[in-house]
Amino acid sequence: MDIIVCMKWTPDTSEADLAIAGGGKDIKKDDLSYDMNDWDRFAIEEAVLIKEKTGGKVTVVTVAPEDAEEMLRESLARGADEAFHIWDEAMEASDGFATARLLAQFIKDRPHDLVLTGTLADDNCSGQTGGMLAAMLGIPVATLASGIEVENGKVKLRRELEGGLYEAIEMDVPCVISVATGLNEPRFVSIRAVRKVASLEIPVLELGDVGLDASQVGSDGSRVETVSMSLPPEGEGAEIIKGKAEEAAARLAEILKEKGGIG
Amino acid sequence: MNIFVLAEHRNKQLRDTTWEALSAGKKIAADLGSDVTCLVLADAVDEMADKLAKECPKVIAVEDARFATFNSEAFMKALVPILKDRGPFILLMGNSNAIIDLAPGLSVVLDAALATDCFGLEVQDGKPLAVRQVYSYKVNTTVSFKDSERIVITLRAGSFPYALADSESGAVEKIASPLGDEPLKKRFLNYLEAEKGDVDIASADIIVSLGRGIGDEPDMEVFESLADTMGGVLACSRPIVDKSILPKYHQVGTSGIEVKPKVYLALGISGAFQHVGGIKGSPLIVAINKDARAPIFRVAQYGIVGDIYEVVPALEEKIKALKS
Repeated sequence: MDIIVCMKWTPDTSEADLAIAGGGKDIKKDDLSYDMNDWDRFAIEEAVLIKEKTGGKVTVVTVAPEDAEEMLRESLARGADEAFHIWDEAMEASDGFATARLLAQFIKDRPHDLVLTGTLADDNCSGQTGGMLAAMLGIPVATLASGIEVENGKVKLRRELEGGLYEAIEMDVPCVISVATGLNEPRFVSIRAVRKVASLEIPVLELGDVGLDASQVGSDGSRVETVSMSLPPEGEGAEIIKGKAEEAAARLAEILKEKGGIG
Repeated sequence: MNIFVLAEHRNKQLRDTTWEALSAGKKIAADLGSDVTCLVLADAVDEMADKLAKECPKVIAVEDARFATFNSEAFMKALVPILKDRGPFILLMGNSNAIIDLAPGLSVVLDAALATDCFGLEVQDGKPLAVRQVYSYKVNTTVSFKDSERIVITLRAGSFPYALADSESGAVEKIASPLGDEPLKKRFLNYLEAEKGDVDIASADIIVSLGRGIGDEPDMEVFESLADTMGGVLACSRPIVDKSILPKYHQVGTSGIEVKPKVYLALGISGAFQHVGGIKGSPLIVAINKDARAPIFRVAQYGIVGDIYEVVPALEEKIKALKS
């Protein structure tokens, strides 16, 4: 099976202190560390698990600035066979649509039985890439996949609905599957595995290489535009109990007792 | 610009996302001076269409057995011919797990601009703007659709409350299903229920809930001990299940279990909306987190900004002292 995994290079914002950048249209990113999008780690793992079972080839691809090479190397160490790095300054500020268009251009002329993505990315929280890609490629899609089985040229999967309900779905290949976190247990990457792939070449594809022009990517090729960004006001909501851990804990214990929180 | 609202259903019942999308649709229609039309595609459409017509002036109903479940391929194929000749429009839908399969592809085939998971809608200079969250749901952003004449927007559950008014007698236009005979490449098989465990967090009165902030190698004894002392049970947010620290039946949230304890103590939980959606029924939410800007503090009544591993043992001591 030929599997293409689309990955995103995202700033780690979950635990970081965030501030709005000058201009008010993005956050300050200089001090943030970047990593593979959390959801995509489950996508690459699943691709490698399927390859180990059915044979075939795993290709990873990203649309991201130079630093993202680290993520592609990690993917090779996780078991991908080849990696492609799509980047050109003109691609900066591409929205979900422009990014999906770049990925679709890359995928359409390559063998692909299965295209895997994460369902969401932690930076823009949009959940668009998988569905858009599928429509551009003219193939079916399922997102939030929490169990995948490949058999006889078909894919069976379980996807999450709300309230602990799942639906079982069957799709013909080729298809796009956007995975949910927790789908598998991403393997530990040994230093040896990293060394083994250190010298593998990762081709960089610029705008012309994927057959698009500058009007089709970046903000020109995007259909939505950020007007402004802001941090929700701090202190709105909860009454924050001040003081050292001891004091705050003492006050909280009293509140809990009062409200029936001690059974 | 016409406003269309796509009705969502499961097991032959309209889902609340439908009414919330209609609420958003009415709001933006008033601002833009346009009409609202509900679209309902189902296997047995009449009853749903009648319900919608009591809330909305115009309903387009399409019946086809292939709309029995929310199969995104069937919906996408049908919605394109239904919408393509209706001039400029905004199509609104809930950002449900079923619609996450549909909206992005639909926007591509309709040549529309898309914004997902929006919790606010505005009109500025006659153009719609959408408000959503980015960067781990910690930053609010307003987005425009440039000069797009076709716009698809999905809406965060709970953001556009709606009370049924039963005040309209809308016209129902029933149209023939545009789906041809070619087989679908995506097929629904069956529904599955999540595995049940030895604790039922849905019925617990006191919940001590753990999130990403407890660290990659948490000292679970600290939390088990606190839960015991409080007479409560342990629950968690999604990352804890993803890391196999607790089984799935402990997960609180829209894709986990919705809980309504008397007291919900959130430890190291950032408060992404999927999680918060599962605790709306709790009268008292208390959060301990080292990030003062964590969204959980906006839904909690009390909070402590600090290190969990310092506060939790101290809290347990104080509770023990109060109990004796």
